[in-house]
Amino acid sequence: MLILKLALRNIQRNRRRSLLTVLSMGGGYFLLSLMLSMTEGSYSNMIDLFTRDHTGHVQIHKSNYLDRPSLFKRINNSAALIALIQEDPQVVSVTARIYGPSLAYGKNKTFPANVIGIDPQRESATTYLKKKVNQGVYLSNGMTVNGYFPAMMGKALAKNLHLNVGDELVLISQGVDGSIANDIFEVVAIVGTSESYERMNVYLSLNGMRQFLSMGGQVHELVISLHHHSLAQKFSENLQSTLQQDDLKVSSWQQVEKVFYKSMQLDKKGNYVSMGIIIFIVSIGVLNTVLMGTLERTREFGVLRAIGTQPVGIFKLIMLESLFLSLVSCFSGLLVSLPVNYWLTVEGIAMPQPVDMGGVLFESMRGEISWFTIGVPALVVIGSTLLVSLIPGIRAARISPLQALQAV
Amino acid sequence: MSHVIETKKLCRSFGKEETLVKALSDVNLIIEEGEFTAIIGPSGSGKSTLLQLVGGLDEPTSGDIFLDSKKISQMSGTELSDFRRDHIGFIFQAYNLIPVLSAEENIEYIMLLQNVPAQERSKRVKEILQAVGLQGKENRRPAQLSGGQQQRVAVARAMVSQPRLILADEPTANLDSHTGAALLDMMKQLNEKENMTFVFSTHDPMVMERANRIIKLHDGCIVGDERRSA
Repeated sequence: MLILKLALRNIQRNRRRSLLTVLSMGGGYFLLSLMLSMTEGSYSNMIDLFTRDHTGHVQIHKSNYLDRPSLFKRINNSAALIALIQEDPQVVSVTARIYGPSLAYGKNKTFPANVIGIDPQRESATTYLKKKVNQGVYLSNGMTVNGYFPAMMGKALAKNLHLNVGDELVLISQGVDGSIANDIFEVVAIVGTSESYERMNVYLSLNGMRQFLSMGGQVHELVISLHHHSLAQKFSENLQSTLQQDDLKVSSWQQVEKVFYKSMQLDKKGNYVSMGIIIFIVSIGVLNTVLMGTLERTREFGVLRAIGTQPVGIFKLIMLESLFLSLVSCFSGLLVSLPVNYWLTVEGIAMPQPVDMGGVLFESMRGEISWFTIGVPALVVIGSTLLVSLIPGIRAARISPLQALQAV
Repeated sequence: MSHVIETKKLCRSFGKEETLVKALSDVNLIIEEGEFTAIIGPSGSGKSTLLQLVGGLDEPTSGDIFLDSKKISQMSGTELSDFRRDHIGFIFQAYNLIPVLSAEENIEYIMLLQNVPAQERSKRVKEILQAVGLQGKENRRPAQLSGGQQQRVAVARAMVSQPRLILADEPTANLDSHTGAALLDMMKQLNEKENMTFVFSTHDPMVMERANRIIKLHDGCIVGDERRSA
């Protein structure tokens, strides 16, 4: 196609100017890609840490449990549900939890504690809890040698109660039958830090918790870990329709951690404003280049029009030139951004101090390479280039052949 | 012989009221098929304006222009583009070739607009390059050709689509006399061989020598119309 040749050769006509434009647009692509990579990568890392810390990707509760938790809102057939969910290939693991706010007593001090009954094996496959044991040994299902159910304590609570591994812990709560629940447990591990999510938690095995609260086989929560957090929303929707139980509510991590998710979305929008500013600056440069290029060639457009080229043909030529420039720019930007983004994805930037977000510590900022971080900057650069080229394109297309031929 | 061009009471003015300039006044003209016509006259007499109007590059203030009995003075911009592409060839004083295209591509361009098949395009380009004596220079860009060679490419571009009319606005003005004469001889030969109609706007005596009709313009009016055997 001669029009393609014409467009390519017109770009090569003023190589220095074309090169500067490519550098400017390629730079824009690089910055956009870097920003998207850091934003997506950091949030992806953050979401991964958050969900693997304790939330999981999807949770199942009795209806309205998340808004108004209650000891009495229990899931009855948890074993059958776990077996059903585990069949899905997207699922990595499923675990059950029982919650019982209690009063913890030890060494003459009393503090409120959030007591959680967990399945030790399933929990360690679903969250990082096992990795957070910093003193003692991870929870087991059986009894200790002293004949008590074992308990793991958050560091802050253990410190407040002056308890250590091997000490006795007394918990007082309300049983599901209305009785006062109280029992002695043996501290087998201290978990987390003074700031982490589990700082005021006590972890018991499901058996220990059920006996403590006089509960049957029910649980309060099922936590599901998937292969990737991005699968959560679709998975929870599908599972909700599969369950066909109105009294059960399947929630993705976005619903469970509403505040975190909303603040993340807000932050992302803020980044889009910065990206808009970058692309605006790049677009002004592109507009200048295309305008200069068309002004210089006014006489040529006159000739093309005089010998019978339709206005749309001239418009197409200018848009093609801009498209080629933007494609070359995106390719050059990609060549530079890809290794940088790869390094950010693999190595990341270590933060001078770990940042605490909701009890989860973030130690490094990471990038991400995906179709989103590669494709969106390309679409934005190409789109904005074509958009700013509309003005010179229309101007050149509407030119009067006679006036153009008389141009100096 | 059929009328290729016919103008009726053709007027073209520029400016308004006190600054009004009448470039052409009531020009009635008929150009027959196969004529090799020179429009002569001093600067400002309206030669170029007449060519621009006949070529559909400009619109008349009043009057009508017919090309092959089609009224072009009332055509829209798009219709005029198509009409120029299919019926008129232009040769400009400053050659006006597309600098980024080779001689061959400059000639081929108009046939691409006409959707001529590739094989036919290639054949016609070869023939016309031979006719204008530019074999072996088809891949050169305008900047790599002399003024005379560029004007030959321009002539080839104007003729390759076999239009009914070729309008040449002072085609020899930028050429030396030897090159200009050779170019005019070539056009005259093509005119005789292909029976194409040529209309020149010129000051050049060499064009007048070869023309079989000379129309004199003065202050926008035809003041002389001489037919002669070439």
